[in-house]
Amino acid sequence: MSLSRRQRLRLVRGGVYAATIAALVLILLAVDWGALGGALFKWEIVKEQFPDILTNALRNTVIFTIFGFAGGLSLGLLLAIMRLSSVKPYRWFAATYIEVLRGIPLLVTLLILGFGIPIATGWQWPNPYIQGSVPLALVAGAYIAETVRAGIEAVPRGQMEAARSLGMSYTRAMTTIIIPQAFRIIVPPLTNEFVLLIKDTSLISVLGVTASTLDLARFGRNGVNDTANATPLVVAGFVYLALTIPLTQLAAWMERRSKAGRR
Amino acid sequence: MRRISRIAAPVLALGLILAACGDDSDSSTEDTTAAAEEGAVDVASLGLIAEGKLTVCTDAPYPPFEFQDETTKEWTGFDMDVVREIAGGIGSGLELAVTVQPFDGIWLAPKAGTCDMVASAMTITEERSANALFTDGYFDADQSLLVRAEDKDALTSLEALAGKTIAVQTGTTGETYAQDNATDSTLKSFDESAAMFLALESGDVDAILQDLPVNAERALKDDKTALTASFSTGEQYGFAVSQDNTALGDALNAGIAEIKVNGKYDEIYAKYFAK
Repeated sequence: MSLSRRQRLRLVRGGVYAATIAALVLILLAVDWGALGGALFKWEIVKEQFPDILTNALRNTVIFTIFGFAGGLSLGLLLAIMRLSSVKPYRWFAATYIEVLRGIPLLVTLLILGFGIPIATGWQWPNPYIQGSVPLALVAGAYIAETVRAGIEAVPRGQMEAARSLGMSYTRAMTTIIIPQAFRIIVPPLTNEFVLLIKDTSLISVLGVTASTLDLARFGRNGVNDTANATPLVVAGFVYLALTIPLTQLAAWMERRSKAGRR
Repeated sequence: MRRISRIAAPVLALGLILAACGDDSDSSTEDTTAAAEEGAVDVASLGLIAEGKLTVCTDAPYPPFEFQDETTKEWTGFDMDVVREIAGGIGSGLELAVTVQPFDGIWLAPKAGTCDMVASAMTITEERSANALFTDGYFDADQSLLVRAEDKDALTSLEALAGKTIAVQTGTTGETYAQDNATDSTLKSFDESAAMFLALESGDVDAILQDLPVNAERALKDDKTALTASFSTGEQYGFAVSQDNTALGDALNAGIAEIKVNGKYDEIYAKYFAK
């Protein structure tokens, strides 16, 4: 009557599989697929979304993401180095910047920078892409700084010591020895930041969108208004996935490759 | 950068707090008259999502139509007062419960079961009527232009705004009106009126085209802005219910007719729009 440990484990595992399959079958049977398709995936409406969703909405999302990430990465690298500097004011500045920008929701930062600065100074943003990307990059920089700092600190101390003892300057050791190794370490969390950034671009529409600057999410939401059907949102969701999944796969590949290189 | 896309959550949560309702004293007298005129409304047939409550979806704050009283936290404004008055006269009196959600597609909410009806300064349109059952109109929906005070004399018409940027709210009749009539201007659409007012002040847009009472309220409170034009669209605001719920639609129509006859409508109108 008493089962061995292995038998018990097999029994439990079998139970989990059986329950999963039963749940899937139940869902398949319970859902009214016709109604679901009509509400979420109406083919005529799907076709209407193209090519605008790619030539306009996707293009804008990609522009915001690239500006945001390029700016965020440069800023993050600078802040990380300041954060680790031996000069105290640098450290103070970087720490304060990171705390503040990371602690305020992007939506609020967007409104403050996008409208508050022009209201206070009379200066105008030159164009909507810059108006949306700059706050995005400033906030991304705060997050990326912490990621980069963690990466730099994860490089064994001996690397810096060895480089310095070979006569390299601190700057040279940092740029040629430490940072390249740190970047290998932070590829996974950096990919994470990038994917989050892609999705965060959907917040920029709070600053208002013209027909030519709308992003994927706004495009989908406008589509819901025009068609009185949720299909455009579902299509927008798939386009986001078409953007993020290849990226995460690329990052996984880079990670595998860098691991292989270290062996 | 992370997890903040749901910044709207606290706002929604606030809106989900059900506003309590007063007016018990008034409704008792109306009950008897309403019941005498058309037989008591069978509350059970209205398919209410919460018993004893009329749950209303609205895009708030949108003064003077829907906003929370600063001290009592009670939902107030023209729409809210009208609905509260009508709800008090249905059956033995229903309480008003408020669910806040964005205006985008709000007319679909009763069908989705989020609420019983929509009261959100919403214009009756053919497009929306295809997916929701509208009541009779209860308010004339005129559009208007709000500009910065220094542009008061220059930007007095849509023609004057050619080549300039006009702010509209996404999914509103103001947006449709602008798309049809302001073809020489750049339209910038926003999720909410607060951002539009900021955009106007910051110089990001040159005018706001939206419902007259909302712009008028702003111009009154904020002397950096001025109301320069209004356009009659011949359209009206209506409440919306699910197309399957004709019983509630009928009850609301009876209520609108009732308060127009007994003077309550004029009383509420005077409270918010009298100059």
